[in-house]
Amino acid sequence: MTTLPARPPLARSSDRVIAGVCSGLAAHLGWPVKNVRLGMVLASFAGGAGLVFYAWLWVMVPTADEAARRNARRPASPIAPAVSQPAQEAAAAADAGSPAGAPGPVPEDQGGAPVPPWFRARGMRYGKEILLGCGLLLVAGIMIAQLLGVDVSLGTLIPAAAVLGGASIAWMQLDETRRAGLVDKTKADQAGGWGRLAAGLALVVAGVLVMVSGSGSWEQTWLALLASVAVLGGVVLVLLPWALKFWRDLEAERAGRIRETERAEIAAHLHDSVLQTLALIQRRAGNEHDVVRLARAQERELRGWLFQDSGRESGQLSDRIKAVAGEVEDLLGNAVEVVTVGDAVMTEAHEALVQASREAMLNASRHGGGTVSVYLEASDGQAEIFIKDRGPGFELGDVPADRLGIRESIIGRMKRHGGSAAILSTGDGTEVRLRLPAAAEHAEGKS
Amino acid sequence: MNTTQGTGAGSARPAHPVRVVIVDDHAIFRSGLKADLDPGIQVVGEAATVEQAIAVIAQQRPDVVLLDVHLPGGLGGGGREVIAGSAALLSSTRFLALSVSDAAEDVVAVIRAGARGYVTKTISGAEITDAVFRVAGGDAVFSPRLAGFVLDAFGTAPADIADDELDKLSARELEVMRLIARGYSYKEVAKELFISIKTVETHVSAVLRKLQLSSRHELTKWAAERRLL
Repeated sequence: MTTLPARPPLARSSDRVIAGVCSGLAAHLGWPVKNVRLGMVLASFAGGAGLVFYAWLWVMVPTADEAARRNARRPASPIAPAVSQPAQEAAAAADAGSPAGAPGPVPEDQGGAPVPPWFRARGMRYGKEILLGCGLLLVAGIMIAQLLGVDVSLGTLIPAAAVLGGASIAWMQLDETRRAGLVDKTKADQAGGWGRLAAGLALVVAGVLVMVSGSGSWEQTWLALLASVAVLGGVVLVLLPWALKFWRDLEAERAGRIRETERAEIAAHLHDSVLQTLALIQRRAGNEHDVVRLARAQERELRGWLFQDSGRESGQLSDRIKAVAGEVEDLLGNAVEVVTVGDAVMTEAHEALVQASREAMLNASRHGGGTVSVYLEASDGQAEIFIKDRGPGFELGDVPADRLGIRESIIGRMKRHGGSAAILSTGDGTEVRLRLPAAAEHAEGKS
Repeated sequence: MNTTQGTGAGSARPAHPVRVVIVDDHAIFRSGLKADLDPGIQVVGEAATVEQAIAVIAQQRPDVVLLDVHLPGGLGGGGREVIAGSAALLSSTRFLALSVSDAAEDVVAVIRAGARGYVTKTISGAEITDAVFRVAGGDAVFSPRLAGFVLDAFGTAPADIADDELDKLSARELEVMRLIARGYSYKEVAKELFISIKTVETHVSAVLRKLQLSSRHELTKWAAERRLL
């Protein structure tokens, strides 16, 4: 690489002790994580500068997941070239090429430098305990100092600690909810989150009250509590409608933005595929055959795009058969109707089945001269494919010996892979029946 | 483009013209279809929305309604809602569903609502004419795709016991469905299985009945899972 090394975006990593700020920063700057953490701790002693910096980054920097999502949301360019078929086909071909190839292990965290697993595990497991230990040590230190006669004003320290603790509990919760947006959390988790938020709030309020009232006496505290609740109530009463309105506007705007993104994506796709095809159809309006072929190809592509289930794995037998039928349709222009029942994961023997049926479809389309019906029935036991046309039919014996299409590509190929092929031809049409038992697949799999 | 629906296969043309209402929200498609239909079919009404369709059907009482699965208006139920809204006429009026959507849930929903068959919109004029006559005669019309849906939904293993089992197809019904899915016309199915066309029609009607009446909860679930085949 001759260009400047691209820096990973600043994002809080999931390898974290508190909030993943240090490791994210380290990944961004290209420094060792340890140094960054050490620097942060040292800076904390300089009048708490490190703490403030840490808190600021915590609030401002998104988590790695959030950053990834933000990038994914970016709308595609309106005239993105080659959005449609070629890329998909290439992907499908690549998938089909290595049906057995297990996908590589997916990294758990998208952001940050690769971290040795033991380190990450330790950070995750012991982070909270370390924090707790520090807190206890601090308390112990204060108590010892008091025993030694140093005057520590507990009256200010305890409320301050309560405020800090409550705030951090509540803020941790904020962090959690951010992540909850990505990973669907269960209701129970949400309830726990609300509980923690409430506990944090109560701690902070109590701490502030004690601090402000300046004494531990109940009477005064109650009075202060009453007063503050009354004030808060008044503020809420006045501001609630505003807040609701703002919230609704925000929601509406967000929904609008999502719609806009989707619209841009659809527009891009339609531009690349449908509009191009319509232009082609207008230019070839005189040639009925071409128009039908273009329309069929576009229909297939659009259907694939509309109904494609991105969660569904490809590399299934039915997908391959449909793809092959599409190819034949494009090549010869006659419609190939595919009906599938059941499905199977592609194996090497299945690939032979697909190739044999492709040959049969080509023959049917070429000589049958009409719609070709393809029926696939796959189960655990076997896979069967029927290819039917309505052409004039032929006699297998009449086919010249040097024509290898049927003998080799269909019958021979099926036999070699432990399957069978039968051809039934009458004056009303021809049907090729291909059958591949599961036992043959296993034998094939071993070889 | 669909080659089945028993082209020229014994669906005798009725003596009097078949009265048909076309329900589709695309005017171009309606006029194209009208031009394609046989003179033995008399188009007595057209409708573009669910409300219009229910009104026209109630007023005209046609023999057959060619019904698009996806329609604007109403409560958003499309063709299913039209059939539900015309439930009182189901004994005299038959519905033939037309669809570009191959989504199994749409097709199964409209069949279960009471349609007597389903064909794709790319079907040729002669084939749709044949399908209309067939439906008017009380038979069911299965395209290869619908037969594929049925096989997928009910499973390809035959029922062990009686034919009356609603959740399974009998061995014979399975054979018929398989042949239809393979692109055979009713006539060809009859020839292949050495039975009469009437028997084929009986089997297909029985399958349709099972499809409509089976309470098999998997059927709905299955249809929802398969957004398309």
